[in-house]
This record gives sequence, structure tokens and C-alpha cells, in this order.
Amino acid sequence: MTESPPMLRLEKVEVVYKKVITAIQGVSLDVQQGQIVVFLGTNGAGKTTTLRAISGFIGTDDAWVTEGRILFEGQDIANWPPQKVANRGIALVPEREKIFETLTVMDNLEASVGAGASRATRKRMIDTVFDHFPRLATAKTRLAGYLSGGERQMLAIGSALLCEPRLLLVDEMSMGLAPRLVEELLDHIVTLKKTLGLTILLVEQSAHLALGIADYGYVIENGRIVLDGTRERLGGHKDVQEFYLGQGGGDARKSYREVKQYRRSRRWYG
Amino acid sequence: MQVLANLVVLTAIYALISCGYVLIYRVSRVLNLAHGELMMLGAYLLFTLASLFKGGPELAFAGAVGLSLLVGFVLYVVLMRKMTGELVIAAVLVTIALGILLRGLMVLIWTARDLHPISVLGWKNPPVPLGGGTSISSVALATILVAVVLYLALMLFFRYTRWGLQMRAVGERPLLAAQRGIKLHAVYALAWALSTFSGGLAGMLLALDSGLGSTMVIVGLKAFPAALVGGLDSLLGAVVGSFIVAAAEILAIHFIDPLISDVVPFVVLIAMLLVRPWGLFGTKEEIERV
Amino acid sequence: MAQASGYFKTSYGQELRLIETTTQKVALAAFVVVLLVYPFFAKPFFLDLANQVFLAVIAASALMLLTGFAGQISLGHAGLLAAGAFTTGILYKEVGAPFWVTLPASAVVGALLGLVFGLPSLRLKGLYLAVTTLALHFIVAYAGGEYETKRGYSTGVSVSPPSLFGFELTQGRHWYFVLLAFDVLVVLFCLNLVRSRTGRSFIAIRDHDTVAEALGIPVKRTKLLAFVISSVLTTLTGSLLAYYQGFVTIQAFTIYLTIEYVAMVIIGGSGSMLGAILGAVFVVLFPHVIEAAIRLVPASRHLVNDAFAINFAAFGLIMVLFLIFEPLGLVGIWRRLRDYFLLWPFRQTAVGKGG
Ligand SMILES: Nc1ncnc2c1ncn2[C@@H]1O[C@H](COP(=O)(O)OP(=O)(O)O)[C@@H](O)[C@H]1O
Ligand SMILES: [Mg+2]
Repeated sequence: MTESPPMLRLEKVEVVYKKVITAIQGVSLDVQQGQIVVFLGTNGAGKTTTLRAISGFIGTDDAWVTEGRILFEGQDIANWPPQKVANRGIALVPEREKIFETLTVMDNLEASVGAGASRATRKRMIDTVFDHFPRLATAKTRLAGYLSGGERQMLAIGSALLCEPRLLLVDEMSMGLAPRLVEELLDHIVTLKKTLGLTILLVEQSAHLALGIADYGYVIENGRIVLDGTRERLGGHKDVQEFYLGQGGGDARKSYREVKQYRRSRRWYG
Repeated sequence: MQVLANLVVLTAIYALISCGYVLIYRVSRVLNLAHGELMMLGAYLLFTLASLFKGGPELAFAGAVGLSLLVGFVLYVVLMRKMTGELVIAAVLVTIALGILLRGLMVLIWTARDLHPISVLGWKNPPVPLGGGTSISSVALATILVAVVLYLALMLFFRYTRWGLQMRAVGERPLLAAQRGIKLHAVYALAWALSTFSGGLAGMLLALDSGLGSTMVIVGLKAFPAALVGGLDSLLGAVVGSFIVAAAEILAIHFIDPLISDVVPFVVLIAMLLVRPWGLFGTKEEIERV
Repeated sequence: MAQASGYFKTSYGQELRLIETTTQKVALAAFVVVLLVYPFFAKPFFLDLANQVFLAVIAASALMLLTGFAGQISLGHAGLLAAGAFTTGILYKEVGAPFWVTLPASAVVGALLGLVFGLPSLRLKGLYLAVTTLALHFIVAYAGGEYETKRGYSTGVSVSPPSLFGFELTQGRHWYFVLLAFDVLVVLFCLNLVRSRTGRSFIAIRDHDTVAEALGIPVKRTKLLAFVISSVLTTLTGSLLAYYQGFVTIQAFTIYLTIEYVAMVIIGGSGSMLGAILGAVFVVLFPHVIEAAIRLVPASRHLVNDAFAINFAAFGLIMVLFLIFEPLGLVGIWRRLRDYFLLWPFRQTAVGKGG
């Protein structure tokens, strides 16, 4: 790991839903400025919960960060309201309900531009989004509810960019999309990182594509981080190969619990 | 002919009132069952200001309208804000309780007597002949005009202004809107303010035309089926719903029994709820979300 | 047994028990004694208050079953009370029916209306359901008003007291014991219902109706059943009310009455039979307490004429306060106090500190 203080640091974060359901526990992770970090895990592992904890989206579901700290640029933002987090420079592209379906594409973008911006600034900012995603420009006046899956994702990312974030959180972008489309979107993500200098935390279920563009990765399982490392280390790791890349010889993708190796590789077992 | 004129007037009254229900519901999914009382409060404010500014009735009217706007804002900030994130039905119960609280306070402050703000303001309400022996009162004519202007203004507001856009966004996905940096509480407060503004306006016009008494709350409650029949989240729906309810009511008074007028809107409401609960112009998913 | 560290259940049988601890037994026995002795010492005014509370307890229990347990919001409670009262009044006036006819007849009307009020609940939830029941209230009220005007009883229908074998139920004290018996029966019935399979289905459809459906609970039938049971109890109350007051008028069954009953559920504490009782006591006594307070404070005596309005405002305020600050109602306060003393000197905190 590099020595400079990370942009985002989670320290032993625990999130409890409705005062009884502990969704994640002892989650610690670092996101360095200017990196793309992937966050891998199967369904229900706690990926979304982690992102929502960072973006302040959990309080509305009666879930709270009960332990640990979430440090963004050195400041603890745990349990902040979502709007405050957004203003602080973190934007979230949620897993579901990521666009306003009853609004046109243009209105979706307009609604996302920060309050103080003048008409000219707004236009300039929206034009930048159209530069990144030309497909949106051709669909300006269409209702967002009628967009295709890929276009929705682009619109969601585009609207998030309008909040001028320094850190972008993207939740399961690939869900329900064809692999080709996912590749295209991932290319966009890399471009965004390069042109805007964005830092990106990317949540995915499959390591297949995501690991390819990542600088660093974490694996979460049952609400705990079980593995982390650079792309090379993760890509080469036996467990990841077996479970997330489907390369473990014999029948691919066994259940984790069937394999003892998984337990041994947990961080706290050394 | 006279029936037709009455129909238009009643439609305008219901439309003016029901748009207050729609504004709040559309943005926050809360049904404000204190709307009738808030209307009445607007009318009482007009009465008081009229007594204070004996010389300037226009000033009194403008002041009362402004205060109505403020009432909604304050109500949201001190009361309804606390209910964000709670079950919608709990918020609705709060509005019911608020209605009772307001009614008690209004009786305390203004007593339960029937009042006539129009004479205090020193205005006249002569009938306006429409030809063919039909006529409507001046205030009724004003009510129609105000309703038309208000609806046009609101539609333009929703369509073309940033606040309108934000209200539409918040109405669809409040969480996402918050994440995009939209100030939820400001938007909700604005919705409440606009709602009490339009409701107060309706209350004042009603009071100018036919005096100010406890029956106003009933009128307020009867406008709510109008909002629901059209679809609680649609302004256009509110107009159409108002027309349907007004028509049903006038027909029932004409052909069945004047006493039935208070129950007709609710019969229409039940019929609508059984056939198409989300209303004529409402969004279908709304039902699932409650 | 109450122990220093709290009271724990050690078998499933204990989970189903109504009376759990020795302390509870003693407290209940004392309460029963007070209830039985009360009418022999109370002045007529206080006797009347007690009777009103008893009547309210039945209807509040009914609404508690429906709203607090089965999660179906109803704003038609006054309409149902009116239906019971008017069934009694009309049968008495038109055919001179005795109470052993009118009471079951009211229950039958209640069952039918329960179906009518309940049918919308099969399609509608929450707010929309509340609105439908509100509309039904207006229709029942209109029907009652029509009857009054058409038959020329525009001031109301008088009903003479129920009698059996020449014994007339007129005295407050007699009413006291009759209503008390009703209350005991109804509360026991509700408590048992809530513990039964049916009661648990109520709770299941309140908390997760889709899950309940998946678990094989007949959601529609359960909803309708909740409406019917609740409605029958309510119309029975209406019938008793008609006899108790000796008089039925539609003016008595306003939306405000509905709100009072909703308030009983909220203020008492949703989802608890004790809540229904506490709520009924609170709401019935509230205006009298307010009036007494106004009379007591010398500076506010001139307000006596406005007592009605003050009462209205204060009642609205109390409801708002409970909804915002104590959604668990009086029962919630009571439980916290009890836990506090049970667990003293240890402080009790909920799991998960957040929020
Ligand atoms: N709204 C909620 N209420 C209660 N528990 C929840 C809620 N959302 C998620 N959880 C719990 O948190 C766990 C992690 O969920 P989530 O973060 O959505 O997983 P992922 O995004 O990795 O699929 C789940 O197993 C679930 O039990
Ligand atoms: Mg997820």
C-alpha cells in the first residue's frame, strides 16, 4: 500500500439494520486518491450496505453505522445524511432506482446539477456528460423510463457526475446487462478516471471484467472482508480464481463453505 | 343553463381546493387531511386582516394570501418534518390530529360564529349576468378565473422551473433526489406552502361568497374525493376529478335529494377506488407504495 | 418470578400465559377488587364516566384488533357504531323489538358491514383503505340521517331501557356490572384471539402481507375476518350505547368520534390489548380532566365556556405529541417504566446503539 493518507478509509465499520440485523462487521478498507477499487462479493455479502453506509443512504432504512469510522479526506462522515455526503464530494450510483423514470433524460440531468449553478454552467456541465456518453445526447427528450438497460446506467453515471464528486461509488453496474455492454461501461469508467481524475469504488459480483480495470480489490463475504490485494495478487489468488473467475479445475463455482481453503485465507487467520 | 354555470363554479371551487391535496401528495405521498381546516384558517386570516386594515382591503387580501403561504411552510418545518421517514399512514394521522388542533384553536380565537369577511372588506358581490337568464356572483366568477390562472401557473411551474423539476424528482424518488444534492426538506416545505396557499385562497374566496363557518371543513373534505378520482398525483387529474364530482353532486341535488349532496362525492370516490384506485390520471404504482 | 436481572421465560407454556408473574397476579387481584367495590362508593357522575369507559373499551378493543394487530387502517369506526345504534333504534321503534333481538341483529348488521368495509382491503392498502372506510362512514351517516328525517325523528330516536322478566336496566350501578361483564368477556376474547393461530395470522399480514401469503396464510380471508370480528364488536357497542343513552341521533357519530377511537389506539399503544384499555380510559377521561383543570386554575375560569374548544385543541396536540414522540403509546411508557424498575440498577439499552 502507498503511504499517502487514503481518500476514503473505513475503519472496522459495523452496520446494523433495524437495531437487530448486523449486515457488515469489522469492515476496513482504503481507497487511494485516483484509483479504481473493486469490491467483490456474492449476493447478500454486504456490498450494497457498505456503499450505502458511505453515502449516508442507510438511515432512511433504519440502519446505522454502530461501530467504527468512515473517514473521507480525514473527516468522519459516518451517519451523515445523504445530501450532506453528496455535497462533501461523494456520489453514489445505486443498484436499483438509479434514475428518475418519469422525467426526460434532460430533466434527469438538470435535476442533478448542484443548486447554485447558473444556466450557462449547467449547460456546460451537461454537455460534458453528453461528450462522455454521446448516446444520451440523442435521447435527450425521451422519458428515462423508456431507456434501455445500458442507457439507464449511462444516465445514472452521468447524473452522478453532475454532482461534481471526487469519489464515485458505483453499485453492481453489470446487473442484468450483456457482457459486451459491461465492457463498454467499464471503458467509460476508466476514461472518467483518467479525464476527470475521479476516484472510483466499484461494486461487482463477478471479478471477470471488473478486476481487469482495477488498481486494488477487496472481497467481502458474509459481511466481513476476507481478502484484499492488488489486481495481480487477487487475480492470482486461488480462491478468487475458483469462485470469482470460475477457473478452479473440475466443476467451476463451488459453494465457498465447501472449501476449507476459504477459511484459512481469511485475514484474521493469517 | 343555470345548472351549467353552477357546475362550472363548483368545479372551480373543488379544483382550487383539490390541487392542495395533489401538491403535497405528489411530492411526499402524504394525504393532508387537515386541508379543510387550513382553508378555513386562510379565510379567518383574511377576516382578521380585513378588520385590522380597514382602509386597504387589497392589502388585507394580499397579506392573508401571503400568510397562508407562510402557514404551510411553518407547519412543515415545525411539525411534518418530524414525520419524514415514518410510515406514510402515521404522517396522515398527524395531519388528522393537526386538523383537530387547528379547529380547536380557531374556535378559541375567532369563536364559532358565522362571519362575513366581504362586508368587513367593504367589497360588493353583485351577480354577473351571463345571458339567457343565467348569472353567477362576482366572487364566483373570480373563483373561476383564479382557478384557471393558478392551474396554468402551477403547470408551467412544474414544467419549466428548477423548483418544479426538483419537486417532480423528489416525488418520484426522494432518496435518489437527496443523493443528487436536492434539499428534500426545502422541497417538501415548498409543497406545503403552495398547498396552504392555494387552499387558503380557496377558503377566502368561499368565505367572500358565502360567509365563513364550520361547513367549510366539509367542503374541504368533499374536494378530496375530487383529487383522488382524478389521481392523487396529477394536477390535470384534479381538474377532471373536480368536474366529475361536481357534476355528480349537482345532478344528485337536482334529481334525487338536496340532502344527498354531502355524500355524493364519497359514493363517487368508492366507485373509483373499486374500479381504478389510482385514479383517472394517477400513476399505477402509487398504490403499491402506500 | 421477578428477579434482579429481569424475568425470563423458561418454557413455551410461559410464553402463552396471560398472567406471567406473581406480581402481576397480585396487581390484577387488587385491580379486580377495586373494580368491584368502585360502584358502591362512586357518585353517579363518576359511575357514568366508568360506564362510558367500559363502552369505549369494547369498541377500542375492536379497532385495536383491526388496526393494531391486523394492520388494517379504518376511519369508519363511527359509522359502524352508528350502524349498531341505529339497528337497535330502528328495530325498537319500528317493531318494538326487545334487546335479545336487537343485540344479535346489530351483530349481524356488523358482520355484513364488516364484509362491506373489508372488501376494499382486498385491493387497497394503507392510505387508500383508510380513505375508503372514511367514505363508507359518510354513507352510513347519510343513511342514518335519512331515516331520522324521513320518519320525522329529526332530533333522534329514543330507546327505552332493556328489560328482562320485568327487571329494567336503568340504574347506573346495574349498568356498571353489565358493561364490566361485557368488557371482561371482550377483552378475554381478544387476548385469546391474539394468541391463537388467527391472531398470529393477523400480525403476519400486518407486518408482511406478501410473506404471509407465501407462507400459506389465506390473506384475503384473514383480512375479511379481522374486519368482520372488529365490526361485530363495534356494532354491539353501538347497540349497547343506544340502550345506555336511551337515545340515538346521527349527530353523535361524527368523524370526530372516529378520530377519538383512532386516538385510543395510538395513545394507548398500537398492537396491545392493554393499549386499547389505557387508550379508552385516557380519551374518555381527557375532556373531563381538561375541564377540571380549567376550573381549578383561577386565572383560567373565564375560559370555562370555551372548554369545548380548548379540549379540541389539547386533544389534537396530545395526539400529535404521541404520534411524534411516543409511537408506542402509553403501553410503551408503561413498559419502559416497568423495565426500569425491574432492571434497576442496571440500565437497559436496546441492541445496537445507533439511531
Ligand atoms: N433493508 C434491509 N433491512 C434489513 N436487512 C437488510 C436490508 N438490506 C440488506 N439487509 C441485510 O444485509 C445483508 C447484506 O445485504 P446487501 O448489502 O444488499 O448485499 P449485497 O449488495 O452484497 O448483495 C443481507 O444479507 C440482508 O440480510
Ligand atoms: Mg447489492
